Amino acid sequence: MDTKTIRPDEKALRIVGTRPVRPDGVPKVTGLARYGADFALPGMLWGAILRSPHAHARIRSIDSSKALALLGVKAVITCADFPEQKFEFVGPERVAINFWHTTRNIMAREKALYEGHAVAAVAAINARVADEALRLIDVDYELLPHVIDVDEAMQPDAPLLFEDMITRGVEPAPDRPSNVSKRIEFNIGDLEAGFAAADEIVEMRFKTAPVHQGYIEPHACLARFDADGQGEIWAASQGHFVVRALTARLLGMNIGDLLVHPAEIGGGFGGKTVVYIEPVAAALSRKTGHPVKIVMRREDVFKATGPTSGASMTVKIGVKKDGKLVAADGVFKFQAGAFPGSPVMNATMCGFAPYDIANVRSVGYDVVSNRPKSAAYRAPGSPISAFAVESALDTIAARIGMDPLKFRLLNAAKAGAPTVWGPKHAHDSYADTVQALLDHPAYTAPLGKNQGRGVASGYWFNNGGESSATVHVNEDGTVVVATGSMDIGGSRASMAIMAAETLGVEYEKVRAIVADTGSVGYTHLTAGSRTTFATGIAVVEACNKVILELRARAAMIWSVKIDEVIWEDGWARTAGKKPGTREPLSLKGIAAKRAVTGGPIGAEASVNAGGVAPGFASELCDVEVDPETGSVKVLRFIVAQDVGRAIHRSYVEGQLEGGAVQGIGWALNEEYIYDAAGQLLNAGFLDYRIPVASDLPMIETILVEVPNPNHPFGVKGVGEVNIVPAMAAVANAVNNAIGRRLTELPMSPPKVLAAIDAGSGG
Amino acid sequence: MAKAAARVVLISSHSGHYTGGVKEFDIEAQTLHDVIKALDARYPGLGEHLEEETTVAIDGEIHEVGYYQPVRPGCEIFFIPKIEGG
Repeated sequence: MDTKTIRPDEKALRIVGTRPVRPDGVPKVTGLARYGADFALPGMLWGAILRSPHAHARIRSIDSSKALALLGVKAVITCADFPEQKFEFVGPERVAINFWHTTRNIMAREKALYEGHAVAAVAAINARVADEALRLIDVDYELLPHVIDVDEAMQPDAPLLFEDMITRGVEPAPDRPSNVSKRIEFNIGDLEAGFAAADEIVEMRFKTAPVHQGYIEPHACLARFDADGQGEIWAASQGHFVVRALTARLLGMNIGDLLVHPAEIGGGFGGKTVVYIEPVAAALSRKTGHPVKIVMRREDVFKATGPTSGASMTVKIGVKKDGKLVAADGVFKFQAGAFPGSPVMNATMCGFAPYDIANVRSVGYDVVSNRPKSAAYRAPGSPISAFAVESALDTIAARIGMDPLKFRLLNAAKAGAPTVWGPKHAHDSYADTVQALLDHPAYTAPLGKNQGRGVASGYWFNNGGESSATVHVNEDGTVVVATGSMDIGGSRASMAIMAAETLGVEYEKVRAIVADTGSVGYTHLTAGSRTTFATGIAVVEACNKVILELRARAAMIWSVKIDEVIWEDGWARTAGKKPGTREPLSLKGIAAKRAVTGGPIGAEASVNAGGVAPGFASELCDVEVDPETGSVKVLRFIVAQDVGRAIHRSYVEGQLEGGAVQGIGWALNEEYIYDAAGQLLNAGFLDYRIPVASDLPMIETILVEVPNPNHPFGVKGVGEVNIVPAMAAVANAVNNAIGRRLTELPMSPPKVLAAIDAGSGG
Repeated sequence: MAKAAARVVLISSHSGHYTGGVKEFDIEAQTLHDVIKALDARYPGLGEHLEEETTVAIDGEIHEVGYYQPVRPGCEIFFIPKIEGG
């Protein structure tokens, strides 16, 4: 690990940037942490979900009479147990939800649209009886032709998932339905003139495979629905407030009638930002009057929860002989899965974002096909377009004979550079991440036979938004910090650090917890690399309110005005005309006097945090290719990322390492493999191969610290941008090793071997 | 002397449904609330769309849409599609 602080602050920080013990460490390593599957209630039933064996089929009828007759079965539900939803896209354009679609994804109505699509559910006295009951449900299917691949799904004669889907974003609107849900386009400058001025142009096609987020913990929840219409859910998710909102809407409930408790989460990476089983368990509980627990099997996780999109892309880039980029054009076609809503808009916005290019067009297509509905996955969309763009950039840099990092440095977007979606960049730390790799001795280290080196870069927006925190001073002067942010990547540790730093107390005196939806204000998802930034601002604001209160209490104890009391390094001291005339009061000392000075001391802060700074990362990869098998071994991998300021250094390093590893898996191994009937052949970790420790070198990290001026401690989101360059970095290294450009992911041994053979004429 | 108006640009394709395709405006305002009110007065319903479905970039700095955001004379304001991540 290396750290490169670009603009150090004047004031030294005591705890921010250190590596204190993680508050969730002991429960996790001793097995005491409670995940979604660990909760139970008296009288609890087990729920199970019947899933379509077909990729595309009309549901003629569902007969559950035999299942209901089985001893121990308490209820069977179908789509009829969920209220119909209005057909309308609501919410932000890039992530608009159409609840008409969502309710059909939770439970199929007219058609099953992918293998694994839920069609009915059972509640029974135990899991064995529930599974037996599923086999007794008789579904009459009319099989329909299906389509998986995005290019095939866009053909005029492709099987239609929705017979009335008219492409949005096209004027005039098409007169025929298709699987293309939406077209989007961003432009700046004059593309034609840009390419006319170019000395060299490359145009390349790319494809990426759909991949799963690969979280270790399957989805699990427990739901209880009381006779008074009030409900409770215990679930692992990336946001229990969003679980509450989506479940309430899908069941026709008031949000206030549902209480959601957070569980520990065993990985999410974007895949647990939506609901699958929570509304089903709640509907079964509502019908039976018993608590109902559902735990997904691994196979169901692969078949029925959101992977990210596979894509088909064309990228064209024009450059002057001196290396200056003058034009770029990208067309990105994304599988949305069975319902609209792929991350293609992100892809169109992020792909060229690291670069200062005057003339750019970026076009995206959101295309439905007979696969599970795509869900967010770490910087959703951006790694896919980056694979295409960064591969093409490497190609054109080689063509004009420029070093790939110096080429990127020459074209790096700085503050004031245009983006394809309109605003100018306000931050310019991208070049610092490139320079960090240029300065690293690994960049010029010699390579052996069959070895190659690749570099690539990436951009991610990062996010802010709504967060809440409460801070309470306990009777003994210790502190509880409660937020509404699910802790996925160490947020309890970072919240405790920021609170301790602000209050001037020891880290060990602060206990950070994740509160349920009834105990703290609305807090949006732990997603978009927003939590340490946005919830961190809420924590600091709450701490500052507590400090104000502590000064008031000290003033009361000393019979002076509050203006004569300052808070410094965890102590109240007199200031103004009579500094230091009283013995300083500690937080513990003031807490001991809380009753006589007005009662418990605490504060809450809720924010809608803005002023986010984007994430930039540049990565270096060394590989060795086995020319006999086509197997690629990653020898070295370095992530240089602008992290703003690292709050808990180990957790930040872990984010960089994790993103790189997931990108390496996406590059080399991972893909959904379907048979001719549209059925998934590798729905398990033995056949869907994510990288394990023995596949990887130690990931090296360079924390480039360019503090964000809009956060009290300079925080920028760190969780996502690290995955963005990874696939292209690996692809560029493979190209360097074998002299052949692979344009399809994954670069599995057969594809690499075929490329080597093609190159040698074999 | 007349105050320099803010340059306001709508990027979201949905915005075009309200404005008939017009994307750029010059608006005198002190806060983002003033900007939204001015646009909504001209195109009823646009204000709610901007509040619910967009993020705003003011001189390149990305913020959540909030009435309280100060608007500097001559600044550039882009209403862009709201950002979500994984």
